[in-house]
Amino acid sequence: MLKATLRSFFAHKGRLFLSALAVILSVAFVAGSLIFSDTVTRTFDRLFASTSADVTITAKEDIDEGIPSGLVPTVPAELAERIRSVEGVEGTHLDVGVENITVVDAENEPVGPTTGAPTIATNWYVTDRSPVELTDGREPAGPGEALLDADTADSKNLEIGDTLTVLARPGSFKVEIVGIATFTTTNPGAALVFLDTATAQQELLGDPEKATGIAVDAASGVTDEQLKKNLAAALGTTYELQTADEQAESAASELGGFLDVIKYVMLGFAGIAVLVGIFLIVNTFSMLIAQRTRELGLMRALGADRRQVRRSVMTEALLLGLVGSTLGLATGIGLAAGLIELMGLLGMNLKATEMVIGWGTPVLSYAVGVGVTFLAAYLPARRAARVSPMAALADIEVMGLGRPLTVRAIVGSVVGAAGAAALIGCALAKDSAGAGSLLGLGVVLTLIATVIAGPLLVRPVIRVLGGAFPAMFGSVGRMSQRNALRNPRRTGATAAALMVGLALVGGLSVASASMTKSFDDQIDRSLGADFVVQNSNFMPFPTEVTEAAKSADGAALVVRQRFVPIALTLPDGERVESTASAYESRLDEVAKLEYTAGDTQAALAADSLGMDHAFAAEHGVKAGDQLSVEFPGKKKATLTVGALTDLPGSGTFGPQGGVFLGFGTADKYVPDGQDSAVYINAGSGVDADELRKGLETALDPYPQVQVRDQADYKELIRGQIAVMLYLVYALLGLAIIIAVLGVINTLALSVVERTREIGLLRAIGLARRQLSWMIRLESVVISVFGALLGIALGLVWGVAVQQVLALEGMTAFAIPWGTMIAVVLGSIVVGLAAALLPALRAARMNVLTAIAHE
Amino acid sequence: MSTPSAAHLTDLAEPARIAARARGLTKAYGSGETTVLALDAVDVDIARGRFTAVMGPSGSGKSTLMHCLAGLDSVSAGQVWLGDTEITGLRERELTRLRRDRIGFMFQAFNLLPTLNALENITLPMDIAGRKPDAEWLERVIDTLGLRDRLKHRPAQLSGGQQQRVACARALASRPELIFADEPTGNLDSRAGLEVLGFLREAVDELDQTVVMVTHDPGAAAHSDLVLFLGDGRIVDEMEQPTAEAVLERMKRFDSLGAVPSARSEKPDAKSAESDKQSAVPDAQSPEPDAKSADPLRKD
Repeated sequence: MLKATLRSFFAHKGRLFLSALAVILSVAFVAGSLIFSDTVTRTFDRLFASTSADVTITAKEDIDEGIPSGLVPTVPAELAERIRSVEGVEGTHLDVGVENITVVDAENEPVGPTTGAPTIATNWYVTDRSPVELTDGREPAGPGEALLDADTADSKNLEIGDTLTVLARPGSFKVEIVGIATFTTTNPGAALVFLDTATAQQELLGDPEKATGIAVDAASGVTDEQLKKNLAAALGTTYELQTADEQAESAASELGGFLDVIKYVMLGFAGIAVLVGIFLIVNTFSMLIAQRTRELGLMRALGADRRQVRRSVMTEALLLGLVGSTLGLATGIGLAAGLIELMGLLGMNLKATEMVIGWGTPVLSYAVGVGVTFLAAYLPARRAARVSPMAALADIEVMGLGRPLTVRAIVGSVVGAAGAAALIGCALAKDSAGAGSLLGLGVVLTLIATVIAGPLLVRPVIRVLGGAFPAMFGSVGRMSQRNALRNPRRTGATAAALMVGLALVGGLSVASASMTKSFDDQIDRSLGADFVVQNSNFMPFPTEVTEAAKSADGAALVVRQRFVPIALTLPDGERVESTASAYESRLDEVAKLEYTAGDTQAALAADSLGMDHAFAAEHGVKAGDQLSVEFPGKKKATLTVGALTDLPGSGTFGPQGGVFLGFGTADKYVPDGQDSAVYINAGSGVDADELRKGLETALDPYPQVQVRDQADYKELIRGQIAVMLYLVYALLGLAIIIAVLGVINTLALSVVERTREIGLLRAIGLARRQLSWMIRLESVVISVFGALLGIALGLVWGVAVQQVLALEGMTAFAIPWGTMIAVVLGSIVVGLAAALLPALRAARMNVLTAIAHE
Repeated sequence: MSTPSAAHLTDLAEPARIAARARGLTKAYGSGETTVLALDAVDVDIARGRFTAVMGPSGSGKSTLMHCLAGLDSVSAGQVWLGDTEITGLRERELTRLRRDRIGFMFQAFNLLPTLNALENITLPMDIAGRKPDAEWLERVIDTLGLRDRLKHRPAQLSGGQQQRVACARALASRPELIFADEPTGNLDSRAGLEVLGFLREAVDELDQTVVMVTHDPGAAAHSDLVLFLGDGRIVDEMEQPTAEAVLERMKRFDSLGAVPSARSEKPDAKSAESDKQSAVPDAQSPEPDAKSADPLRKD
């Protein structure tokens, strides 16, 4: 029996190839993402573990920073002196480093990486743990001197003697490059500027008595843990103490956020590949078994029992899974190597030679590859086992052709009804958590229902779709329509592969269009300023920038905004950590606000605040209440609730609670903040273009901020949403590739099955071109069917998603018709492309052999 | 190979009487020492308006002869004409068009497209060509074959005999110059087989069609006007107004003696007698098959 199985496997290797490709793709993405993240994690663990001081002392962050406030937490520099006498301390170093700073060259071009990795200015000292060494020039000594890392110097064509401007919070200052520092370990992609310690304290922190942290070396024989314990005993709980290991861990987890994104994207691809691949494998095995019905019947007639037949099919699946997983693993290694190279281009010079393949990678790869194949082959194998010995004698064209679809209809409607109920429940739900889980359930159930009931929809939909074919393409059109209708199960399953991907795209594009529209509406409603000056990644900027904007020609009114981390203790006893916005008092002139109680002036008054009325109601806050508020650095205050706002979408467009307060109040408690945005209105008689020109000229030395009017601002927000869409389109691309494999597979097998028909048609005078068109049209009709099903499902999902978004304040609903039409037109192209090879194969058939084909 | 002058003479003299003609038709499979000659310099004329049967034992080349005459297979050497069109040397696309417009086919089995109903199958060659069928003729063919109440049925809903009748109707529907039937009764029981043979006979007698049928059944061959016997790739004998017994007797000689080449000169039937009837046909180059055949409705 095994021999027969092996023979059959190798006899059908051509047909199994496309299924194998689906397995390979999914395994490759799983393996690639695992290898990549393992490699990166190992590299950075090593980097941080080897470069972290034995114990590091930093300021405690008592309130989580949801939105960057521009605050730099510091410790007193004299702490270094104070702990020198603590037992086990060998030596100390001051760390003075600021991340997310802007450094520009002589042409006011930023020298930082364009990839979003930070530019870091820090003090220069050398220990045996330093990740960099001085390779050229000399160390910085005193103000006006700096080192630059070699990679940045290379990429920006900077050399010793060039001048840089560092745009620090206390004020920008110029430095001359006096040396080049080169990474001895992996460069994580950041740009680094080194200053001497005193300069760094003065220029970066604005205070020579402060540092951002203190690195403590342990005396020999003292463990890091022991040292940390000793320091804790001496310092109490005022500061954050971390051993080298803890430091490495938290540094790696900070970096992890970015790496996790890559990992999840890759796993998303793997998931899509698996999901779509399952259809492909199920279809391939179903067709192989249908074609081999006689052979299986003969095996049964010769005495093979059902289990043996089933086992032989499953063995074939196992072989396919093993081969696919092995090739997929190899492809995954290549994929990871490619990603590592790509990271290199982005400035993160990982080494492909140090690739880490943990034991989990092959285990998971084989589990996914073999598991998926096994799962997908199970139903066809059961069907194969049910082939009766009589099948050896009967002349059945395709098994399952005539079987009624009643079971599918029943199961499909039940699951579909449950899914619809979940989606309706989601639309009616009042809180977003409940709505979200109902949405997930509804999406899964409706997807399953559509897959199950797909074959039932084949007849009605394709009747309509292909209805114009006979008129448009004559008998060729009629035959292709009929061929697509011939085996609804097969057509349904083939189209389902395409449907899954397009449904996802449909749903997400509706969601993102609705989000975009909501944001647009919100901006129209609330933004009253002529221009907004801010950083495109919303990072705060030094006050110098604000001053420059104020002094710009034509600028009459400038309202500053900054973010302040805040912790509110509410009347219901709950402590809410959030971020408050601080505005200057003429906010009303640059924003349109509505209140249920109080007004802007009351909210922005000294020691007052305003918040969203819904949030206030939820927590029992009334206008006039006194709230106990905590700011960073354990600063406590009692603020009066001056106003309650009524802004649609305030839950979404800002941090929790929509808390805002006066600029003066913020400055009083958090004096070292930086502005995040400034809103500017033109003076009377100054037109917008004039003001824009004035602002752009004034802000030219500060390339980190841009001048935007309402339209530009919408564009910026859209850009943020578009990033999500790019990912969706990439997923779509992969889903389509696999779905195309499925269509090719189906067509190729259909062409083989219909060999005699094709021979007959050619004999009675069907030209090759007509034959090719017949197959192409069939392919197109299947693809468009899948696309329509997918879009319909995607629209339903999109409506449900929008209901969830509406709970978050994004009330607008938009259908991106352009995308929808493009998808349908695209599916025609997909159909044509998928038919290329099968059509060629059919056209090349020898007429006589085809007629004589058994 | 025939002499060019002889071919030329026939070409001019008898396009109206000869439906298809082969000269020196040779078909070889394989190459070098393993070459097998399926057809060995065959000269043959298929007379218009007659029912010709081709018989011979397995491997005698009878199917190959049909395929070469019908433009389904390429030839190794020699020339083949359909009417006055030389089809040897035509390109694939022209051959396809020729089969579509000027030849009708009936095969042993699997004649019909399962997705199309009977009527759609019948009109398929014309649909492919994008031509409208001649409604009057189509009605007559359908009535002659008794398919009136089966037109909306799919092949799966028809019996084997009915399916072959639909195939026969399709072959007739475009009023081709020549109908090739390859073992049309091979898959049928004797009653249904007789019925189909009766229709082919009727097609020749009533509808003035030309039929070439390949068969190994002497009973089927007896329905024809002329039987050509093939052996080892040559035409070894022929028989006018055959009876089943006579054909069977002739076939037995293949078993006992093998192929006995008979005199080549006997073969052309009415050629010499009728060659001078028409000296020139003005519309000989017309691609329209109808233009050359006599009015099929004249007997009505």
